[in-house]
Amino acid sequence: MQKRKKKFYAKRGAWLFILPILTLHVATILVPATVGLYFSLTDWSGFGSASFIGLENYRALLTDAEFLQSLRNNLKWLAFFAIVPFSIALTTAFLLSQVKRGGYAYRIAYFVPYVLPSVVIGSLWKFILNPDSGITAILSNFGVPGLDKALLGQPSTALLTIAFVDNWHYWGFLATILLVALQSVSPDLYEAARIDGANLRQQFKYVTIPGIRPTLVFMLMMTCIWSFLVFEYVWVMSQGGPAGSTEVMATYLYKAAFREFSAGLAAAAGLTMTLSAAMVIGAFLVLRKRGWEI
Amino acid sequence: MRIKNNVLRVGAGLAMAGMLALQIMFAPGASSATGKVTVWLEENDLAKCFAETVSAANKNSALTFEMTPKPQLTEAMRTALAAGGAPDVIFTPGPAFTSEFAKAGLLEPLDGYAKKLGWTKTISPWNLELGKVNNKLYSLGSEQETMLLWYNKTVLDKLGIKVPKTTKEFSAALDKVAAAGITPFAGGNTEWKPVNEWFLSAMWNAVAGPSNVYKALTGKMKWDSAPFVEATNTLNGWMMKGYMSGGLDRYYTKTFEEFQSDHATGKAAFSMEGSWRFSSIGAQFDRTGQKWGWAPFPTKDGSELYSIGVGSSWGVNAASKNKAGAAAFLNALFTPATQAQLVTKCGFNPAPVKIEKKMLAGQEKRHADAIVRLGKAAAKGNFGYLTWAFWPPKTQNFLIEEIEKVWAGSVTTKQYLQGMDKIFAKELADKAVPPIPARG
Repeated sequence: MQKRKKKFYAKRGAWLFILPILTLHVATILVPATVGLYFSLTDWSGFGSASFIGLENYRALLTDAEFLQSLRNNLKWLAFFAIVPFSIALTTAFLLSQVKRGGYAYRIAYFVPYVLPSVVIGSLWKFILNPDSGITAILSNFGVPGLDKALLGQPSTALLTIAFVDNWHYWGFLATILLVALQSVSPDLYEAARIDGANLRQQFKYVTIPGIRPTLVFMLMMTCIWSFLVFEYVWVMSQGGPAGSTEVMATYLYKAAFREFSAGLAAAAGLTMTLSAAMVIGAFLVLRKRGWEI
Repeated sequence: MRIKNNVLRVGAGLAMAGMLALQIMFAPGASSATGKVTVWLEENDLAKCFAETVSAANKNSALTFEMTPKPQLTEAMRTALAAGGAPDVIFTPGPAFTSEFAKAGLLEPLDGYAKKLGWTKTISPWNLELGKVNNKLYSLGSEQETMLLWYNKTVLDKLGIKVPKTTKEFSAALDKVAAAGITPFAGGNTEWKPVNEWFLSAMWNAVAGPSNVYKALTGKMKWDSAPFVEATNTLNGWMMKGYMSGGLDRYYTKTFEEFQSDHATGKAAFSMEGSWRFSSIGAQFDRTGQKWGWAPFPTKDGSELYSIGVGSSWGVNAASKNKAGAAAFLNALFTPATQAQLVTKCGFNPAPVKIEKKMLAGQEKRHADAIVRLGKAAAKGNFGYLTWAFWPPKTQNFLIEEIEKVWAGSVTTKQYLQGMDKIFAKELADKAVPPIPARG
């Protein structure tokens, strides 16, 4: 009897410890997600009863030029964030790893924007970019070309401007993560590389990058996932305009749910966002399975 | 005999007392409701004044109104209603919301209260019509709105421009202002994208005409018909010329404070804005020392026209434990006397109720004049239709979002209106269009 009890606890004991958090997870994540999946197959307005309409919402999304435009904007956003913040953060982290004194001061300086709320940053930059009294107006008065027009007021520049602001807050966080990863690379490897005659660029390519690859790949994957979920900066700075040029899936979802009372369609858009993020994770997993060192 | 007389006297006295009690109970506006009524208000500078005014209108009642200001009221109300925790009285940003709430069974029909409390005598017929869903009354519209032409009188006097009455005169005036190096219109939508629909509301009614708008809203005319193409193109022409805040890029980035300041300082001559501006324009122009005025929005034929709508709606929570109390709150709020007090004390625009001119004594003359003229026009049935009150939600969102593509040149006016017509036809078939009051 005692032996059987021991065997039971040995086999299922871990589950008992996991059970509370698992229950919480099921109640707060799995159930709402399943409900969301169900509502994406209905014509629910957000209130009252819902009628099952099959895949109609998904068909509507895939034939809606507005939604396809928002998907394209998310992909542009992804491309920007997979390149720009990583280039800046990696360079900064590498240079900072060489700094012997005052490193903390730099780290604090570029990490500060990350702790500010996105709504505050968005509003602040709207003020800074004001075409009549902001920094662009000052630069334009000094003769800098192309700044006489409002950057957030033109379809050709609005998305890039918002991405710039989001990046302003994001790259410091990324640099900090990468710096921590860099510090875990053994100094012996750099010394060996130097003895072999490697210059700074070669050390970066052959020691730094392989040494921080797991962190780099993880952050790249997370950045790609976040790129499909972006909302606050776009909403605060442009509400998806002008002329839909900054519309992303999340703003499309918000308008569908709260302005058009199409909660079913919004649920379908939300699941499409999740699916897009899942595809990114899938792509990373496939590459890893094929032998890529990521 | 004496006993008989006394019995008769007591009997007659009791009968009279009973009749008096019945009269009091069933007199228009009287309510037998008791207890507490919970109400949420939009958290802003006017909430306190609103609460004090409505409480004062209720001072002799056995009811207590518990009015709580809430930030982001629409979102808070939506969540609370869905979760079953909403207050007794429901506030919504307009008929589109009310309609969705009513269809979901979240609002109590008000027809019985309207009859008992005599609302037909005090509330404008079109307001009672607008609050209906499937022929039942669910809400009362508050804050009557119309689109007006606001002008900087100092600028117009300096340039020798008369206040335009027709679209043609208006266009000529805008050209003259622009030629003088002054921005014709002040405007901006960076804080509130639906600003776009202010102009469309004004132009479709003024240029295409309210009768055509009525026909289109009732499915008897296509939105891509020639009158709407002409009206939209007239607006587009002004936008393309950079008449709005000096260019589209500026329009998309100006805040309310910025563009209203441009107007008050004389950087811009006109502003196409709703009647809600009465609450702030006086102080803005007082600061600059310039003069302001308003006029009915210029129409194609020069006739005086006011497009009507409401900025918010009030209803009763179907799950309320004090529905009679909630109806009594609406009754106190929607009496002409309370509405007049809300205008004169707090600076609100009144609900569409039958306010007499004398009730507005002491109110800023231009504001009182606008309220009276709008009320008279609406009573005669000479009105147009504002998009945020009469357009169904998907069509409304489309017209706001897609017009920017027309201004950007990526979509033609015809394509835009065809797209709107397609969405509207579906919403009309789905019975999502609010009741459209016929013109007189």
